[in-house]
Amino acid sequence: AKSAGRRSDLSPHSLWINDDSGSDSEVEDKIEPIDQDEVFDLIRSIYDPEHPNTLEELRVVSSPQIAIGSNHVKVEFTPTVPHCGMSTLIGLCIRVRLLRSLPERYKVDIYVKPGSHQSEHAVNKQLNDKERVAAALENPVLLDTVEQCLSNVRGNNPLAP
Amino acid sequence: MDAELPYSLSNVADLPGHEDRAWNVAWNPVKPILASCSADKNVRIYAYTEDLRFKHLDSIPTGHAKTVRSVAWAPSGQTLATASFDANIGVWEKESEVDEAGIDQGEWECISTLEGHETECKSVAYSCNGTYLASCSRDKTVWIWEVLPDAEFETVSVLMEHSQDVKCVAWHPTEEILASASYDDTIKLYIEDPSDDWFCFTTLSGHSSTVWSIAWSPVGGYLASGSDDKTVRIWRRIAEHKWECVLVLTGHDRSVYSVSWGPGKDDKRKGKEGEHLGWLATTGGDGKVMIWEVEEPTVKEGETPSMSKPPDHRLVACLNAAHDVHDVNSVVWCPRKGYEDLLATTGDDGHTKVWKIAPSA
Repeated sequence: AKSAGRRSDLSPHSLWINDDSGSDSEVEDKIEPIDQDEVFDLIRSIYDPEHPNTLEELRVVSSPQIAIGSNHVKVEFTPTVPHCGMSTLIGLCIRVRLLRSLPERYKVDIYVKPGSHQSEHAVNKQLNDKERVAAALENPVLLDTVEQCLSNVRGNNPLAP
Repeated sequence: MDAELPYSLSNVADLPGHEDRAWNVAWNPVKPILASCSADKNVRIYAYTEDLRFKHLDSIPTGHAKTVRSVAWAPSGQTLATASFDANIGVWEKESEVDEAGIDQGEWECISTLEGHETECKSVAYSCNGTYLASCSRDKTVWIWEVLPDAEFETVSVLMEHSQDVKCVAWHPTEEILASASYDDTIKLYIEDPSDDWFCFTTLSGHSSTVWSIAWSPVGGYLASGSDDKTVRIWRRIAEHKWECVLVLTGHDRSVYSVSWGPGKDDKRKGKEGEHLGWLATTGGDGKVMIWEVEEPTVKEGETPSMSKPPDHRLVACLNAAHDVHDVNSVVWCPRKGYEDLLATTGDDGHTKVWKIAPSA
């Protein structure tokens, strides 16, 4: 089970290009549209980096905060406190989860809820800069933290409840 | 593709091979080859014939520990530089070892590694006559290296003007002026003070988000910039050291990741008014490649020429989904004479594609 959570780290394939042999094939249907509940299902059980709770339990993410357009997903999340230093990490976990799960045609934008964070602009800018995200995921320490937050996510770890 | 536009882009080559996102592509200015780089840490070299048949020539496993973000050829066409997220710049040359059959069996060799940046290098560029190499990084600095004989490089300046990541560096086509674009939403221009260090002589503000890419017009009187704010801005040189935004181009639906300004093909321009400034190609996260024709502004009779009058411009071609559903990370016009109607793109699909622009049928 531990190795399953680290699969992408060991795989020769990229975090960015869907691995067809992956365990997420149920959402890879190229034609069927997805709805906000399905996207919520993908991110609700991500662990908060600092708490033994999921993002759903902490009300960081919710289904109404997800908007779906044609080939576009916008996720808004609510940091637990306005000075939350983990917000970019939480956003990064959401982004990685969606990169690994959604069909490639979806463009994903991630924002903190307006007014919910004192560094709102900086957090949003960083989370939506693909180069910074790519570089962050080449940092083994950071990637390991992301993997831990995602270790409980359905589909990421087949043994998880 | 929009049928009403006067030109269209047709695909000349689709070159897969990278195992991860392809970030950047560079045409050799002298020889019929181009190089692409990728998050897979490799550089791929392709050769092409006069009738535009492209084939894979070499792969360079660069040895960079992380993504190769950018590639640039020296003006001589002999040397290739790579910028990597591992904070280093690699400098490469191909050993010439022609075998009995006349085929070059030489290998690409790293002749120098430039260390100095603290974090990810994002871009690298040679000056017009190959005297200098510039590099930039998330560490907020721009470095200028002097290119010396025997694969030696000397740091001549470390410019710490930006307040955030520096995304792109580009040298003026004929003068020793360097431009840098940043996550701090600005562009900075630098020249050398003969009695002192290099310095920033102006900061161009106007974009409302990260500036990803910059390109000088072929004759150097204008600069184009592409931004996360989805616009392309055109800046005009209104005095020797003074630049001003004269035009904002819209049409992209997501971040503009790359801009390239080519001379265009002159033979199609006969009998037209206005000085032709070339073709500006733009691309980005929306997967579109847009081509704009740009000319010096026409001055009507009795009108005083104004330095702030925008250049005449029109969208001449637009290609949707150039790399299927994927982001397009770079677009580059071929700099070689006779090939000015060719451009190359790279995308998140790991492909390099070559396109030819021609009047719509």
